[in-house]
Amino acid sequence: MQFLSVENLHLSFRSPNGKSQPVVQVPAFSMEHNQQLAIKGPSGSGKTTFLHMLAGVLTPDSGQVRIDGQSLGAMNESDRDQLRSGMIGYIFQSFNLLNGFSCIENLLLAMSLNGASNLDRARSLLDKVGLIDREDHLPGQLSIGQQQRVAIARALINRPKLVLADEPTGNLDPTNTDRSLELLRSLCKEWGSALILVSHDPRVIGKFEHQVDWEELNQINGSKEVEVGKQ
Amino acid sequence: MENSKGSMAAISVSLKLATRALRQNLLSTLVAVFTVSLSGGLFLGAWKTKQSVKLAFAHSAGGFDAVLGARGSQLQLVLNALFHLENSPGNLDWEQYETIRSHPGVSEAYPFALGDNYLGYRLVGTMPELFLNHQWKSGTNYQVRSPGRIFSESAKEALVGAEVARELGLQLGDRFHPYHGLEYNPDRKHNDIYLVVGILEPTGTPTDQVIWIPLRGVQTMEGHDPEEANSISGVLLNLKGSSGLALDVKYNKQGDRATLAWPVPAILSSFFNRFAWLERSVAALALLMALVGGLIILATLRSTMHERRREFAVLRCMGASRAVVTGSILWQSILLSAFGALGSWIIYFLLSMAVSSLIHLQIGVGMNLPMLDGMALLTGGGILMLGLVSAWFPARKLYRSSLQESLNPHG
Repeated sequence: MQFLSVENLHLSFRSPNGKSQPVVQVPAFSMEHNQQLAIKGPSGSGKTTFLHMLAGVLTPDSGQVRIDGQSLGAMNESDRDQLRSGMIGYIFQSFNLLNGFSCIENLLLAMSLNGASNLDRARSLLDKVGLIDREDHLPGQLSIGQQQRVAIARALINRPKLVLADEPTGNLDPTNTDRSLELLRSLCKEWGSALILVSHDPRVIGKFEHQVDWEELNQINGSKEVEVGKQ
Repeated sequence: MENSKGSMAAISVSLKLATRALRQNLLSTLVAVFTVSLSGGLFLGAWKTKQSVKLAFAHSAGGFDAVLGARGSQLQLVLNALFHLENSPGNLDWEQYETIRSHPGVSEAYPFALGDNYLGYRLVGTMPELFLNHQWKSGTNYQVRSPGRIFSESAKEALVGAEVARELGLQLGDRFHPYHGLEYNPDRKHNDIYLVVGILEPTGTPTDQVIWIPLRGVQTMEGHDPEEANSISGVLLNLKGSSGLALDVKYNKQGDRATLAWPVPAILSSFFNRFAWLERSVAALALLMALVGGLIILATLRSTMHERRREFAVLRCMGASRAVVTGSILWQSILLSAFGALGSWIIYFLLSMAVSSLIHLQIGVGMNLPMLDGMALLTGGGILMLGLVSAWFPARKLYRSSLQESLNPHG
């Protein structure tokens, strides 16, 4: 059974002139456990919206998303919240660390949303991303690269089965991009987390064995099925 | 069990988010807390001060039921005779004192005479029996600080109130020249010299603000009109049973030579009723400030909500429920209000202390220390309610808000 599968996913937004504008229309998409996939596509083309639907943050107009055998559409909001806190890790382009919380507190907060609290695990993960000596620093006291490493640690602290990374290297220089990507991919591999990363940067996409072109996947005017690894 | 554990974790996360938000917006937090504290403190202070002053005045009447004085205002008589405020409305003949003293409905009658001061503190002439027999509070007589004593009826001796002794540094054996009139005027010094023979223990009543001398001393003070030597300013009375009614008819309704100020508590109430407009104004001001406090909490929450909109969206992406993020707004408001309530009590306490010492300094009436009683707790509860009402609308808006807008999804 596929770890993640999408069927006839469709979402439209109402444009300012009142017309319905389709943003996402993915006929089929699936991936296996532990796979790492990059979706490439230009900015503003609906990739983030797609990730939000995979995470259960947005509800599609039609179609369904199944993760690990569970249909998001059949879940109520509370169940989807629980799914996100325990099974999904989310990484943003702008990191979105909580500014009033130190590095370690950002990790502990993510744990507490999953009903857990384990300082040792949080410190161990900070150590893995090379920031144990910055555990009490606030995000504003860290460099951009360091902030993204904390964001990666926060997304992985609950050992999620699926990590969704939305342009995670968009704000990083090449050195930090390579370092963050390596860290993200190795941690996902080590902990058996599937990874979907969206980016418009060919250099980032090129590092992935499995790649999907968003403009082919998102068939606003057509239809195409994508099964990762079997393209 | 799982559910309750989850709820506790959600509450804990909400609370943590709220405390951080308050800390991150420290200036607006402090302004909101200060405004709410001030409005609550003023409201409570105005209310409680009125109550305490009423109570303090009622307890400071010196244990007398009534005052007989010259024809005039009952309130002026009470304020003049018992609180040593205002001028005397006039004099009574000694015969009038003897008449009322012998009335079967009168249990105690002490004549007093006014007209002089020492450095602004009133000299009151009376009889030594006042300090020997009268209970100024139920079961409590006046106490003279050892080794002092009460003045002799026929000597130029003074028994000094505790507050006067403290303020002027008067001690046993000190001598002083009284000054004519109730206000201090250095040009109106009498030649008479009085010897301090005793200092009263503090009572927390206007008695502490007075220098007591023999009645004859005031009546025969050098420079006073000899024709007034047999007159007094009034008589302090305690009455038996319901004799007040009969005396009221006799002096106030049928007579035209004297006024009986009776019953003292009712007259004091009429005094406070004069300030009802002030009380209403302060209450209106406090309510207005409470409204401002509520609006400031609302503005603070809305402003931080605007700043935190993205933070809330991120938290939702991380799995925080709507209840957690909405709860953080409610907690923020509860904490603001709770600090506001605490601040109100502190301001109320300080305000009451200031008013208390001012009143004690001016007229010697001692007020009870402010306490966290029912009204204070009710005000604190009201502030919490105000905070919750203020938080309701932003919290509701947040609860219903779309994650999509906050996350700028067209990525």
